[in-house]
Amino acid sequence: MRKLQTLVAAAVAATLLAGCGGASTPPASTGEASGAPAGASGDTLVVYTNSNGEGRGDWLAAKAAEAGFKIEIVGAGGADATNKLIAEKNNPIADVAFGLNNMYFSQVKNEGALEAYQPAWAGEVDKGLGDGETYWPLVKQAILLGYNSDKISKDAAPKDWTDLWTKDEFKSRYERVTGLGTATAQLVFAGILSRYRDDSGDLGISDDGWKQVEQYFKNGSPAVAKTDLFARIASGEVDMGQMPSSIIADREKSFKVNVDTVIPSVGVPLAVEQIALVKGTKKKEQAQKFIDWFGSAEVQGEFAQKFNAMPVNKGAQAKANPEVVDFFAGLKQQDIDWGFVQKNMGAWVEKIELEYMT
Amino acid sequence: MSGNITVRTMARSPFVLVVGAVLTWFIAAFLVWPNVNILLATFFPDGSFSGRAAEKLFSSQRAMKALGNSFLLAVALSVTVNLVGVFIVLVTHYFRIRGSRILFLGYASTFIYGGIVLAAGYKFIYGDKGIVTSLLVRLFPAMDPGWFSGFFAVLVVMTFATTTNHMLFVANALKGIDYQTIEAARNLGASTWTILRRIVLPMLKPTLFAVTILSFLTGLGALSAPQVLGGRDFQTITPMILTFTNSPTSRDLAALLAVILGLATMLMLAVMSRLEKGGTYFSVSKVSSELQKQDITHRGANLAVHAVAYLLFAIYTLPVVLIVLYSFADGAAIQTGQLSLANLTLDNYVRVLTQQSGLRPFIVSVVYSALAAVIAVAGLLFVSRLLQKYKNWVASAFEYLLHIPWILPSALLALGLIVSYDHPNPLVGGAVLTGTTVILLIAFVTVKIPFTLRMLKASFAAVNSSLEEAAAIMGAKTLYVFRRILLPLVLPAAAAITALNFNSLLDDYDTAIFLAHPLVQPLGLVIKANTDGAEGTEGIANTFVYTVLLMVITGVTMYLVYGRSGRQRNRKRLPAAPPRSPVPGTALPAAQAPGEDDATRPAAAVR
Repeated sequence: MRKLQTLVAAAVAATLLAGCGGASTPPASTGEASGAPAGASGDTLVVYTNSNGEGRGDWLAAKAAEAGFKIEIVGAGGADATNKLIAEKNNPIADVAFGLNNMYFSQVKNEGALEAYQPAWAGEVDKGLGDGETYWPLVKQAILLGYNSDKISKDAAPKDWTDLWTKDEFKSRYERVTGLGTATAQLVFAGILSRYRDDSGDLGISDDGWKQVEQYFKNGSPAVAKTDLFARIASGEVDMGQMPSSIIADREKSFKVNVDTVIPSVGVPLAVEQIALVKGTKKKEQAQKFIDWFGSAEVQGEFAQKFNAMPVNKGAQAKANPEVVDFFAGLKQQDIDWGFVQKNMGAWVEKIELEYMT
Repeated sequence: MSGNITVRTMARSPFVLVVGAVLTWFIAAFLVWPNVNILLATFFPDGSFSGRAAEKLFSSQRAMKALGNSFLLAVALSVTVNLVGVFIVLVTHYFRIRGSRILFLGYASTFIYGGIVLAAGYKFIYGDKGIVTSLLVRLFPAMDPGWFSGFFAVLVVMTFATTTNHMLFVANALKGIDYQTIEAARNLGASTWTILRRIVLPMLKPTLFAVTILSFLTGLGALSAPQVLGGRDFQTITPMILTFTNSPTSRDLAALLAVILGLATMLMLAVMSRLEKGGTYFSVSKVSSELQKQDITHRGANLAVHAVAYLLFAIYTLPVVLIVLYSFADGAAIQTGQLSLANLTLDNYVRVLTQQSGLRPFIVSVVYSALAAVIAVAGLLFVSRLLQKYKNWVASAFEYLLHIPWILPSALLALGLIVSYDHPNPLVGGAVLTGTTVILLIAFVTVKIPFTLRMLKASFAAVNSSLEEAAAIMGAKTLYVFRRILLPLVLPAAAAITALNFNSLLDDYDTAIFLAHPLVQPLGLVIKANTDGAEGTEGIANTFVYTVLLMVITGVTMYLVYGRSGRQRNRKRLPAAPPRSPVPGTALPAAQAPGEDDATRPAAAVR
């Protein structure tokens, strides 16, 4: 018995050692408290992003290596990445950040953690989607209300978000969020609240606007942790809910459901993922080259093709999935005053969390 | 007695002075300064105090209800975890129960997993589409399939999920009880129940108090079980704290809520310390003997205890079995609760293990967690010894300061470290810590301090001070006494604490996301990237795969650290057991190497 234990221990130790040996190509990599500052990691660019899931991070790292860039991707949720960039502004660790939408990037910019840079491809994108100065648009996402089209016909489907809580047939048939931490949820509320702008109202929103929020929470079926909306649609628990455009095709297939989306007459809110140069980077030139490369028509086109995304770069759209391009071509974008939304979003989230979420 | 040593006497010992100096620096540099910084920045955003946070919170119905729920859960858990925990400890270590080794393995399943997957595991069984529920609905068609939700469900799941500390520390304390007292009581005609109530349980008090505080804290910080099973009516405050921590404009609300929970924990700690004071928790006999398993003489009671023990075994093990099975299913099946054996494949494992990052994050996490776990326990061995020996105001002050990491959420601790050490700071010799590999290690050590301290202090409380006095009289130096007398006595507990610390740090995300070196990213970040809510079907499947992989690592750890020492003790005890009734569960191979671990242990060990 004792021998067996020793054997197991030895095997584990050997595996760990072997693993350490194999992985120790970069100098400060064995996780020992070596105290080496980030700058010592040679010419590796540190890239922060919230867009590394589903294999995107690995794909990008491999592509970048082919193009001669050594990058290390640090993945974090949108809010985490934003807080990290702000917290580190005195001694930045990242060189480039991408994937965050304009709401997040404007927070980072306001804290003075971004450096202005005009990428080589600036002329190929619609400047209005970024700030035209520090952060530049890469990919568009529509934030949609989707419904189970096997169950509900187009005529019987809701025409707008507000139908969900004003028409009895949709009450408790739609999923509502249980937290406002995600970008998608915040954009849904940006889209709804913007319509009720009233400078004399609480936080710039009329009483009627807040009433809508109250009703949204009162009549929706709360989301279930670790259970995807599509899983709930498949099992018939709910029929509709919020979804970003890029995930729909994939989820329909996995859960064997068909989903159609609602385009309200005011249009739909767009989330635009951006890229920016971090202020204080010690590898500025390299970082700028990376931005020029990653946002170029060619790379964006390949990215769009691989991940079913909608590139902003006009030259890249030819390579993107034609269905996606068509969808966006016919899509009416909601006119949202982002300056107003960015100024108030923090306070809105707080008010909604404290007063309306039940 | 040692209890009343004054500060002045204390300051005469060089051992105390050295430990004290190091401790003061550590507390000042890593517990007080970063957290004062971040709290000042949150509560005094423009240099003046704002009472906004309190006003907002106390007028929010949702916040107050969630806060109330968290407290309700904390109080309820302190009771239920103790009931279940003490029961399973007695069944596995005190009473003679058939198959107690198997039972032990079942109850020990909580050592190796927890969090959202554990809650999901219970949902697979008792949730509205769960196996047991479907069975029950077939038997009683009038039953509500959604019966397993709300406060009741959360309490049940969290009770069974958090008995780990009982299984490790209460069991350990139980083994230290002097069997002679029990025999004496029996000879005087005491019943099984009286012996349990008047002799066994009182001796376990310091450990029971310590684990009660931990249960209380677990209840206050409940996150995943309420999210998965709480439903509309039973949501707790932690999700709100996390949302507000992430939003710079609402961070003061998060900090205030955290401080409220922290103060409640400190209050609980003060009450427990008071209750603990003045008792004698070690055997006073000169030659104590090892505990022997007790028969339950009453036939009915014996049957009932066996039945309950095996029922609990089923409750504990079913979720683990299902989680392992589901980790081979595809994500859609996991979420819709449809499991068929034909659909189980290795795809999930292939996908997770063939990522570009490969095994590297696992190694990084293992190294970080091991270092942090060992540093925390090694350092605090000295500290907790001193705090246990010297009971005066300086010691109490230090003790409370060391609990600071329990007050603030780890994201705030991390942000505090960043804002304090992103420029050369004299507290750490003018170094810049952000962007180095050390800062995460510091954070890992810090977050484990309160737990380590509590459990170590409790195990020192069970050490008979006369052993130490005898050694000192014979001329042994402080360090010698510490190394040769005290250390061997608390080593089993210390090893268990190290293992638990190690396990809990393996998949840490909250701290690592802010502090990890970009080239040395631990597992938590990779798990998060692969399992986030918006990741669809693969995400959820990956969650299960990572849980199973972590179970393997933590299982091996527990086996190496705890299983081995448990076996050695068992082996030692075996010859002393009455030969008349060999218990199948404990019948270990008799290939015993006599005295193999006795060299480091004083004769007639009093644990």
